[in-house]
Amino acid sequence: MNPLISIGLLLTVGSAFADVAVIGGRIFTMESPEPIERATLLIANGRVQAIGVDLDVPFEYRQIDARGKVVTPGLIESYSQFGLMEIGGEAATVDSQVVEYPLGPGFDVSFGINPSSTLFAVTRMGGVTRAVVAPQPGVDPLAGFGAIVHLGGGDIVTATRVGLFGGIGATTAEFTGGSRSALWQRLVTAFAKAGRFSANRYRPGERDYSRQDMQALKDFLRADVPLVLSINRAHDIAAAIRLAELHDLQLVIIGGKEAWKVREQLADSGVSVVVNVFNNLPSNFESLGARLDNAALLNDAGVNVLFTAGNTHNTKNLRHQAGNAVAHGMPWFDALAAMTRNAARTWGMDDVGVLSVGSVADVVVWSGDPLEVTSWAEHVLINGEPVPMRSRQTRLYERYKDLKTDDAPYGYN
Amino acid sequence: MLARALSWLVLLLVTQLAEATEPYASTYSVRSHADTLVVNVSVLTGTGEQLNGVDVLVSEGRIAAVGSDLSGDPAMRIDGSGKWLTPGVIDVHSHLGAYPSPVLSSTRDGNEMTDPNTANVWVEHSVWPQDPQFGLALAGGVTTMQILPGSANLFGGRGVTLKNVPSRTVGGMKYPGAPQSLKMACGENPKRIYGEQSKAPATRMGNVAGYRAAWAKARAYRDQQQAFDSGKSDKAPDRDLRLDTLVKVLEGEILVHNHCYRADEMATMIEVAKEFDYKITAFHHAVESYKIADLLAEAGICSAMWADWWGFKLEAFDGIPQNIALVDQASACAIVHSDSAEGIQRLNQEAAKAMTAARRVGMSVSAAQAMVWITQNAANALGIGEATGSIEVGKAADLVIWDRHPFSVYARAEKVFIDGYLYYDRLDPTRQPARDFDLDQTVSEEAR
Repeated sequence: MNPLISIGLLLTVGSAFADVAVIGGRIFTMESPEPIERATLLIANGRVQAIGVDLDVPFEYRQIDARGKVVTPGLIESYSQFGLMEIGGEAATVDSQVVEYPLGPGFDVSFGINPSSTLFAVTRMGGVTRAVVAPQPGVDPLAGFGAIVHLGGGDIVTATRVGLFGGIGATTAEFTGGSRSALWQRLVTAFAKAGRFSANRYRPGERDYSRQDMQALKDFLRADVPLVLSINRAHDIAAAIRLAELHDLQLVIIGGKEAWKVREQLADSGVSVVVNVFNNLPSNFESLGARLDNAALLNDAGVNVLFTAGNTHNTKNLRHQAGNAVAHGMPWFDALAAMTRNAARTWGMDDVGVLSVGSVADVVVWSGDPLEVTSWAEHVLINGEPVPMRSRQTRLYERYKDLKTDDAPYGYN
Repeated sequence: MLARALSWLVLLLVTQLAEATEPYASTYSVRSHADTLVVNVSVLTGTGEQLNGVDVLVSEGRIAAVGSDLSGDPAMRIDGSGKWLTPGVIDVHSHLGAYPSPVLSSTRDGNEMTDPNTANVWVEHSVWPQDPQFGLALAGGVTTMQILPGSANLFGGRGVTLKNVPSRTVGGMKYPGAPQSLKMACGENPKRIYGEQSKAPATRMGNVAGYRAAWAKARAYRDQQQAFDSGKSDKAPDRDLRLDTLVKVLEGEILVHNHCYRADEMATMIEVAKEFDYKITAFHHAVESYKIADLLAEAGICSAMWADWWGFKLEAFDGIPQNIALVDQASACAIVHSDSAEGIQRLNQEAAKAMTAARRVGMSVSAAQAMVWITQNAANALGIGEATGSIEVGKAADLVIWDRHPFSVYARAEKVFIDGYLYYDRLDPTRQPARDFDLDQTVSEEAR
């Protein structure tokens, strides 16, 4: 090999992993509600190396000018189907749900997460850098285990079995003969049996959980990860709190349209709620209490509030959930923390969601207020690496932005 | 300006008188209200302009004056400093009332999925005026909506334009004089619904054959009727409710609103319209309009679009967030629609996101221009653009006062006027409507 070329290759590889300095921004470290003004963030080997005002920037660092910009940790989506769903309406591209084969709590989404999904590039350009990937309830109220991904491409699954997901509601009740009570009985019985489950002695009946499911439940009861239930009705949320307390489980509620009605109980029990702020429709008799200020009421009562965009394809709108929560009474910093620090803590990520020395360098430089509909992410770093601001959508835009180009035949640009 | 206002008034009276004698006529009437003066307010006019620190006078349901230091002693005077005034938001694609909350099998009345051609159904006969979602949309500044039937069928039925006012009957919400629409649908939905039943259409070519067969029949029906009317034939055709609708499209009385995602299918629909000599008023969803914005501009067809929805089905896979701005830039008519009982509450934010996505790539779009996408352009597509959709003297006082710039995520509609009457006031619980379904059940009265 020509020595010049090999040196060139080395340099190319070196620059792809260059250390980075984000200079002069208004940095929200999330360790304090107050930003550090005109501050610089040094990033080396994928982690935050230093943060402060008037830091010396080593000459070899790639520099990102953040003057006049807002800098935050990358945002974390708390409930998604990334890598499990390409086209919602095409079953062949959806792997988030076990529909006919009877697999309940034994289902683990992490095997099927597709790192090449087009959704990753579209979403990370919007400043979302990590996500909880969860199964959707299928034939059973216990849907299986979720995972965590980063959106930087390559080896993206950072943790598996981060929670046991399920759902209690009108939809899941259909799988237990149409009664919510039967649903609760199935769950309570399953948890009670799982504690003393022995694979050798277990003889499942036709509609009982399989050995694989029971083993997964037993393992779950011994693991330190939350039970994550999609529930809307206040009365069911209260019942879930009792079930979790009985088995000494952490509980996370997804949706929780009526969670505000039991906010004191939720706060006392340390339950987290993943809110979709826009869900204010009385769309069912289990969610007649839906309201736009659900997140604000919960937060005010001391409940740990997290957010979901509620639509994996448009997870880039996660920050607007937070913005709308603020419009309806939630403090701005708390809303930002719900997508960063608090989400990371809830999902067992100790070194993301904040910008402090040693933390993983998921960083976003925003053109303005990150919660606003008029701002955008100008630079996004995941694990310290700037992600390209390119996706299938930007390619389509480039192709069609000027319909009058005659330089090349159609289809060659 | 005054002459124009008067001529509109006369037209309105004439249509109301005419309609009053017809079945299914609008029974809406403008509520009397005190003269209202909003002083020192920032205005996005809906015509692409921004006015700073002006006064706007509302009288007898209309915008009576726009200017500085307007004199007079109106009964209601509103300090507009720090606030923004816009035309009432108009959603051209809604299913409120036809797909109400709660969503139950007994309330799903939006899609007559029993035949690929149900041009005979009228969605107004499904609309439940007690849908609590109307009140939520009002709190989002929506004053006018087109309710459409669903998109399962090639011809889904007639749509209706409603004023967002509480009423015991749908007639009390019907926008006087607004034309009805015909909902048509391209692509995946009809071919999937009927293909799965081994019925036509099962393919996109089956879709097009279905449109063409129906239009050919409609023309023959019209010719038979005309021959009878002129005495050339002594046999009138048997009345056919489907063909009645299609003939009214051919005659220009009913506007075509066509659900269509893909650029190539929209181009094909333009050809179908050419073959049978009818006009397509708007393509709805239109996630690929940016690919043929020039063709749409030439054909004078509006695109009603989402700011950023994509990927939920294959025909939506190529949606990009610059779609709306690219259509607008090509001088085609761009509209932001919701098709969602949640989204309708924040069309201002949807327009803002579409504007921002364009700015991100260096396109120049003003807030004043983006406001047109949810007001005047929407009104034009509903055939009521002369009456409402902008803040100009003589137009209906369909207005929203926002507590800050409406393109901020933190903005909330504070007051909403329809024909000058204050139908919603965030600061006054007695001015927040509750549907019957809300009473003692939902939280609507305490937390809009």
